[in-house]
Amino acid sequence: MALRVLALAAYLAIGLALSVSVSEYTLRLLNLATISAVAVIGLNFAFGYAGLISLGHAAFMGLGAYILAILTTQAGWSPWLATLPAILGTGLAAVVIGVPLLRLKGHYLALATLGLNVSFGIVAANWIELTGGTNGIAKIPGLSLFGHAIEGERPFLWLSLAVVAVLAVLASFIQRSRYGRAMMAVRDDETAASMTGINVTATKVSAFALSAIYAAIAGCLFATHVHFISPDDFNFAHSITFLSMLIVGGEGTIAGAIIGAALLTFLPEWLRVLGESYLAFFGLMMLAILIFMPTGIVGLLSRFRRSAKREAPPAPASSGEGART
Amino acid sequence: MADLIQLLTNGLALGSVYALAAIGFVIVYSATGVVNFAAGQFVMLGTFAGVAMLLNAGLPMPVGYAAALIAMALFGALFYLVVYLPLRTSPVVTVIIGTVAIGITLQNAALLTFGSWPFRLPSPFEGMMIEVAGAVVSVHALAVVATTAVMIFLLWLLLHRTAIGIAMRAVAQDVKAARLMGLRVQWLLAFSWILGAVLAGVAGLMLGPMWFADVNMGDPIALKAFAATVIGGFGSLPGAIAGGLFVGLAEVLGASYISSAYKDLIAFGIMILFLLVRPQGIFGEPIQDRG
Repeated sequence: MALRVLALAAYLAIGLALSVSVSEYTLRLLNLATISAVAVIGLNFAFGYAGLISLGHAAFMGLGAYILAILTTQAGWSPWLATLPAILGTGLAAVVIGVPLLRLKGHYLALATLGLNVSFGIVAANWIELTGGTNGIAKIPGLSLFGHAIEGERPFLWLSLAVVAVLAVLASFIQRSRYGRAMMAVRDDETAASMTGINVTATKVSAFALSAIYAAIAGCLFATHVHFISPDDFNFAHSITFLSMLIVGGEGTIAGAIIGAALLTFLPEWLRVLGESYLAFFGLMMLAILIFMPTGIVGLLSRFRRSAKREAPPAPASSGEGART
Repeated sequence: MADLIQLLTNGLALGSVYALAAIGFVIVYSATGVVNFAAGQFVMLGTFAGVAMLLNAGLPMPVGYAAALIAMALFGALFYLVVYLPLRTSPVVTVIIGTVAIGITLQNAALLTFGSWPFRLPSPFEGMMIEVAGAVVSVHALAVVATTAVMIFLLWLLLHRTAIGIAMRAVAQDVKAARLMGLRVQWLLAFSWILGAVLAGVAGLMLGPMWFADVNMGDPIALKAFAATVIGGFGSLPGAIAGGLFVGLAEVLGASYISSAYKDLIAFGIMILFLLVRPQGIFGEPIQDRG
């Protein structure tokens, strides 16, 4: 518990310190990183806890963003009010999709969700009356708080830092509740989980819906920050990026979700010094991280912590069993 | 009627390319269990191996094709060493992300080498047309279908009539038992990667003249090859062929009879439908990965 409070305090301190000290460009990247962090904390429910490989996470983020964008620009709703149907609608969609789809496992589920994400992109690009097609939807209004518009990178960062903190604390409570433990039990052994009275299907669907709800919140943040969305913002490559963030940070951990989101947002920018070949190096670095740090950054850190305490339990055999802090 | 024949020919040609890409993907999957998300980039590299040998090096066609396929074989061996060996015991998600990561590297390496301007890869049957039952169809499309048929026949011979092919099928069935029988499993796995890369190379060389050679062509092909694999049945070679032809025909016929905007939705919609109703596909592998 102490560690958790300490981590939260450190996160807020680092976030606030950065928000008043860095350039406008870095602020923009930090905003993208926090928005990704919301989505990745959500993905952690589906993949980290319940073990569901989802390559369709960006589609849920897109669904939330599009619902908000359509309601605000075409029906004149206020953005705060529009977040409600955006979040609830996306959660409901995840339940409807999840019930039949989550019977699948492993790479079957990965390909099914991938197909879903591609299909979402095709519909968003072609249902022009509603979505504006590939031109997207522009002039999405921004959020405001107590009569002050949250405009510009710095005020938005304060908002998104706070949203990440609240959602991370909430996720932490869910993780330690019986629902969170049920998700992990289902991931580790479905048969054993159902023997102890856990409803496997309901657990999987609720993990999937929770992850979609977080994705929708990320989508609402994205739409109100950038004021413009198009199908490309939510294509399947983003889903793969979210999963990469979670694995690089440390799957099954909330800290890992945040660290991974920040690292993979900034890594390509840091690599830009390499010139045109930076994305080629980015791919190689990702591969190296997967090979040499199979439990992610948080897994590595907690191994250091344990060896410092000289307890030294045997290292986890696979990343699925990684240490969870 | 003439329109239909033309569409069918183009659909079968495109489907043949998808089928070969799917076969390359399935051979690797059956032997190594790796779901290769870089499979589309393999096909892209095949096309650009053709660009390098035929356009840049200016080799005559038979020599250029052979050189391109040898380059692809070397690439398959390299991929086995650099990507497969380090990741071979990783969980399926890590393998998916790892092959995506290396796919990003391949795509950007191709971008650096060849630039973003698309190339026009020549065909041996450049501009040749032939009349079939009143319809004018391109000779290249017919040649693609014929070449694919020949490749499938050769692959069948390899897998069923040669010692190395039979050993490969043994490894695909049970790695442990194959090793106990004294088969050199690591060499056979390496050979699977090489074979997969060469088949992707053939697909790329045939696709080049049909589309433009563009460094971003990998992802759309990978998605179609995945759809073909799922529809035909994961891990099944006849399934990859049937699925590939189906996806190609659905794309071409769907574009002209239903909606060109939504043509790709047909393939993915049917893929998801198959996953829900019959996840073992048409020819299906016996599945454990389903609740």
